[in-house]
Amino acid sequence: MKFILNYIRKETWSPYVAGILLGLVGILAVWLSDSLLGASGAFENLAGMLGQAVAPQVFDNVYFNFIMPPGFTYGVILVIGVFFGGMIGAASSKTLKWGKKDSANSDPLWKRTFGPQVWKRWVLAFFGAIILEYAAGIAGGCTSGLAISGGMLLAPAAFLFIAGMFASGIVTALIIYRKRY
Amino acid sequence: MATSLIALFLGVFFGFSLNKAGLTKYNKIVNVFRFTDMAVLQFMMTALVVSMSGLYILRGFGLITFPNIPGTYIVGNLVGGLLFGVGMALTGY
Repeated sequence: MKFILNYIRKETWSPYVAGILLGLVGILAVWLSDSLLGASGAFENLAGMLGQAVAPQVFDNVYFNFIMPPGFTYGVILVIGVFFGGMIGAASSKTLKWGKKDSANSDPLWKRTFGPQVWKRWVLAFFGAIILEYAAGIAGGCTSGLAISGGMLLAPAAFLFIAGMFASGIVTALIIYRKRY
Repeated sequence: MATSLIALFLGVFFGFSLNKAGLTKYNKIVNVFRFTDMAVLQFMMTALVVSMSGLYILRGFGLITFPNIPGTYIVGNLVGGLLFGVGMALTGY
């Protein structure tokens, strides 16, 4: 018992153990609620809701009417859960940096690569996230929604997506890191 | 209401496992593309294997039916994946 508690308090688990936990969550998602895990869709649901409130004509198209219906969907609640789950995880290992001084940019590798400025991190995160969300919209899902959830149903789309993701990810990392690659 | 609670419950464990695998950190995500830390792949593939075998066994017993399988659009999935990789390596999220 003590061993399990101590393991839960560890900052990083073996990825295999954490992977088994996520696998079980994936099974439960299908079993209990007949739906798949996913993160990127939730933001599209929320964006659609916001957009239809602000500019209904622009958002009155096939994508937001049929593919990604706006509203407070299952995925949105799931993402809220992910937020708190991540916080609980960090709190359990006492690495939660809520409100602390370097909390906005605390990653040593990031600081070494791009510099210590917090605004740089926010700008890069903002534009990178636009790319991520747009790409997830094209592909039909993100790492969790398509690669993992699709993969566990053996959907060919998931494996195409994973191949593309790693191909361009490796190239991008090569360009960013060059000699330090 | 019940579905919302299930979603919240599953989300908490989803986020918890992501945090414990270290996937909430920039260095873990970007290092998989630099081949210096394979945690992301180990995590993803373990999750895939566990849920894949679990789901197919449960379906074999007739306990579950699969939800809509994500559609295959070869160009869409591939182009989306290619763009996604750029964003992922840039931001590390």
